[in-house]
Amino acid sequence: MSAARRRKSRLADKPLPSVEFWWRAVDIRDEWSAHALSCEPADRETTQTTITSLYALAGAPPPQFVWVDSPSAAADQVPPSDPLRHNGSWPLESRIATRVSALRERLDRRIGRYRPVEVPNPSRAVAGDQPAKSILDPCVRGALRRSIRESVADMIRAADSRPSGLRWLGQHDVDWIAHYDMHQRVLETRFADEDLAELELWATLARSCGWWWPREDRCFVAERPLVLRTDPETRLHCADGPAVIYPDGWKVHAWHGTLVPAWVTGTPTADMITAERNVEVRRCAIEKIGWPAFIDQAGSTLLGQAPDPGNPGCELRLYALPATRTRLLLATNGSLERDGTRRQYGLHVPDRFDNPVDAAGWTYGLTGAQYAQLRRRT
Amino acid sequence: MYLAELLDRTGLDVLDHLEREVTVPVIDGLQAQGDLIVIPLDMVPTINPWWGTERYVPRGGVELVRGEAGNNPHTLVADPWTCKYTTNAQDPLVLGIAAFANTAPVYLIHPEHGGTGVAPGTWLVRRQQERRQGAHLGRRLRGNTVLVAD
Repeated sequence: MSAARRRKSRLADKPLPSVEFWWRAVDIRDEWSAHALSCEPADRETTQTTITSLYALAGAPPPQFVWVDSPSAAADQVPPSDPLRHNGSWPLESRIATRVSALRERLDRRIGRYRPVEVPNPSRAVAGDQPAKSILDPCVRGALRRSIRESVADMIRAADSRPSGLRWLGQHDVDWIAHYDMHQRVLETRFADEDLAELELWATLARSCGWWWPREDRCFVAERPLVLRTDPETRLHCADGPAVIYPDGWKVHAWHGTLVPAWVTGTPTADMITAERNVEVRRCAIEKIGWPAFIDQAGSTLLGQAPDPGNPGCELRLYALPATRTRLLLATNGSLERDGTRRQYGLHVPDRFDNPVDAAGWTYGLTGAQYAQLRRRT
Repeated sequence: MYLAELLDRTGLDVLDHLEREVTVPVIDGLQAQGDLIVIPLDMVPTINPWWGTERYVPRGGVELVRGEAGNNPHTLVADPWTCKYTTNAQDPLVLGIAAFANTAPVYLIHPEHGGTGVAPGTWLVRRQQERRQGAHLGRRLRGNTVLVAD
């Protein structure tokens, strides 16, 4: 057995010993998720000390710090990155990028190869024979990548599309940091001391500040937002106002993880919705006011209605949607919501249908005559 | 069987506002649970599921649609050795996610929709599709069609 093999965690390579390990990984994920969603003012002193250490590792003297109040404000101020120079030294930000990528490569080598395996719940996690590192990767890194990186940070970036060059995300860089933290604290993976010290610098920034743009002599650092709202699945969302507000007043509006213009979270009207070119934005705005109100206001023509087979007392209604090649089948859930109501939902169906039962059948690949035989809907 | 008893036996759970002291009906025919439909196999004679990989539904049930990305799982539960299933439905529409053959009633459980029983028979389970709207979120099936996420 080689030395490298011995250093690997035995826990990580065996199936999870108990559900306790799963819950400890979940705790670590939630801990980092809370840092990512933090709206506390940045810890400027800690941030500057830590970034100065990263400059030193890249062989650069301490920079002058420029604090900005939002990523958008940074786009106004950060100078464009120098083109990559192959004959001289590399720009500072490229040297930092190289360093962090080498760090992650060394940490990954200690973890060893594996294939992430997504399991739906902790009892399933201990039932299989997959190694613990395969099971816990999607639970921690995968979940934080989907929520914080893809749903929160990517939306904030998309809200101001001006390029601002290479930057790191501070509080929103938690997915990979949490991954190694979980390995160390739950799976007892042994990393080299100097690598852990370098990882701790990135972890400190994730606990301390917003996005940052290191440049040769100056480092631009953004404050954390004042408000950051998400839905229960940690997708950026606020139904009646901005989902993100930065200290300079820069705002981001989002509907369940979809970036939308401000009017969507105000009081959208059917006219505003039909005038919107982006269909995703249209969908969000319709969800905001509800299908019945939209149909009512949009002057959609009711093409047909029929009792919903298997769903006593409920109707299927088929509407023509102006200016689209689809029709809208409005149906009612077979089971009650928590508030005792039944949710209505709209399904888009091809425009060849005039009969709502035919359209409902199509959604399950059946004919209308077959769908009419539905005995029960729950 | 009562929903409460069913949940007790399976260790599954549903949202607490759903009535637990009601009998879960066992249906012998076409029925839907949210975005899932259970079709008598002889209603769709062109579909021949591949049974070569069939398995018995284990004690804890089998998730027909996994609870991922905010969706809730639909779980099929059966008494031991009463229900064989295959996930190779061979459905040309790609909507079929499983077929099963049961010799005693089996149950479909969903956290938001509660429970429903399926009488002995041979069944195809399909998901629901809709027309794609631009950059619609959701898994693209064929052409302009996406799966409905329930």
